Amino acid sequence: MSTAEKTIVEAHALEGPPVLVGRPGDRELTESLFQPVLGPTRKGWLLLLAALLGGVGFWTLSLVTTFAVGIGAWGNNIPVAWAFDITNFVWWIGIGHAGTLISAILLLFQQKWRTSINRFAEAMTLFAVAMAGLYPVLHLGRPWFAWWLFPYPSTNGIWPNFKSALPWDVFAISTYASVSFLFWYLGLIPDLATLRDAAKNRTQRIVYGILSFGWRGSARHWQHYRIGYLLLAGLSTPLVVSVHTIVSFDFAISQLPGWHTTIFPPYFVAGAIFSGFAMVLSLLIPARRAFGYHQVVTERHLENMAKVLLVTGMMVSYGYVMEHFMAWYSGSEYEFFAFWNRWVPDAKHDTGHYAWIWYMQVFCNVVTPQIFWFRWARRNEVVLFIASILINVGMWAERFMIIAVSLSRDFLPSSWGNYSPTWVDWGLFLGSICTFGMLFMLFLRFLPAIPLFEVKELRRELDHAGHGGQAAHGEAHR
Amino acid sequence: MKHYVLGEFERDEALLGAARALSGRPGLTVDLHSPYPLHGSDEALGLKRSTVPLVALVAGVAGACSGYLLQWYVNGVDWPLNVGGRPAHAAPAFIPVTFELGVLFASFTIFIGLLGWYFGFPRVHHPVFEVEAFRSASIDALWLSAEVDGDAEPVASELRKLGARQVTIVPEVRS
Repeated sequence: MSTAEKTIVEAHALEGPPVLVGRPGDRELTESLFQPVLGPTRKGWLLLLAALLGGVGFWTLSLVTTFAVGIGAWGNNIPVAWAFDITNFVWWIGIGHAGTLISAILLLFQQKWRTSINRFAEAMTLFAVAMAGLYPVLHLGRPWFAWWLFPYPSTNGIWPNFKSALPWDVFAISTYASVSFLFWYLGLIPDLATLRDAAKNRTQRIVYGILSFGWRGSARHWQHYRIGYLLLAGLSTPLVVSVHTIVSFDFAISQLPGWHTTIFPPYFVAGAIFSGFAMVLSLLIPARRAFGYHQVVTERHLENMAKVLLVTGMMVSYGYVMEHFMAWYSGSEYEFFAFWNRWVPDAKHDTGHYAWIWYMQVFCNVVTPQIFWFRWARRNEVVLFIASILINVGMWAERFMIIAVSLSRDFLPSSWGNYSPTWVDWGLFLGSICTFGMLFMLFLRFLPAIPLFEVKELRRELDHAGHGGQAAHGEAHR
Repeated sequence: MKHYVLGEFERDEALLGAARALSGRPGLTVDLHSPYPLHGSDEALGLKRSTVPLVALVAGVAGACSGYLLQWYVNGVDWPLNVGGRPAHAAPAFIPVTFELGVLFASFTIFIGLLGWYFGFPRVHHPVFEVEAFRSASIDALWLSAEVDGDAEPVASELRKLGARQVTIVPEVRS
């Protein structure tokens, strides 16, 4: 091997695995990536969908119970007025944020590896936000009056109070849901047109034809399209930060020990990205296996996501440390006690009823991501999948600790009280995971999960750049 | 009567060359069709800079202003609430909603503006779709379409000379 060749091989080794394996032709890419949509229905897909529908039934039952009985059907009560509902809300909305991060922020930073996973992540965002938005509405008690939240000239002559964080939430979540949908749909249009043209029967042609509005790949349209798409990415980036900041304000601007802290906005945003990337991995790894997306979702993608998990995991850990430090440094015994209560089970002082959740949280969120210091772990599907599930659990536990456990021990011991969930709480939580899964399964079957036109563009770019780690891996050039 | 001349090209260099040769002539509107955005198509067609950013900026500023005005009116003027003696018109507390509405207006304007105004959608029937082979324009082929006022035959033969693989003339049918 000559020195020049050696340098090339070393450079490739440094660059890691390719973002696209091989150089498939455009038609070949279309056929292989649209196989899940245009091919026959698979048995495994149907079975999984049926299983998830069982969970959706449980969820519907819990919803109906909540509507019929009221929120007395939940375990919430004073002092723990916010429990599973708001925990689920913050957890889901945080999961959604990774989708926007992948699709918008990585687009602005021109990260090529985002290309094949962004549609996936955006769909996850949409469904996660749909799940999240439900809980605050249910928590209203009379959800059929949810429209009272919006400022409209009512005959009562009253308006929302914009000095409270809760109307901010209304605007933040509804804007986030709308903008995520627009961004996702705008990205889908060229691929829907491709589906229309590659469709095998008339029904598909008509449905995808209508959904693509008559897209004809015109250069005059592409010009505005690219700029519009980039602008939406640019708008989504500060939006996603603002949304979770506002969610953290729901807690931070109150005076409850455990909530009242200035580190919440950045700590919540980091936690959102952490849990969202974990969820992307939990979904992507099985889908990649099932649909054979190995060509476009490579080890490089998995490795990069593992690195993001490591970084955001460290940020979240820093948040934990600072929370404790500030509780001590504030000199407020109430603040100090709030954290003491998380760590120490002590029957005499009636503390630490939920300490096992705290230890689980530390294990899942602080210890688990440390495995990604090792390259073999970052590239191992099984390790990644297990870690991603643990992180999802850990992040749910974190929100529960912050919300319910802080509420259970406030200033006066006479107003202390513990919380335990009812079956309706569990139904709304576990059922929402199944509903989310069902929506995702439908998405995988009926819409292009990998942004085809962007993969084609990426292939062309890699061809022009003349690298991409191909030579070192001995794959055929086209 | 208007005609559309469609030509399929194999390589993007040939396509862009043909676009350069044909665009800018009176009575002829040239367009390119590709499965992904083509590098260099803007100059080849002599397209002006997109006005989308300007439109989005105006919409965003309008959204932010209306957000602030809304909060000022409902909390400061129409229904001032005394919460712990805080001022009824509280600028810092109004920032989140102002920002969100700015983003909301800008995003909707971009989306609706692109589809409705810049693209002229929905338009599921277009003369280019009359050619069955044009389906490849969104899969793996590059097409040039020229909207011709008058005789289309000379344009078609020129397209062949410029390297088009197959050339078709479609009359525009107005219903």
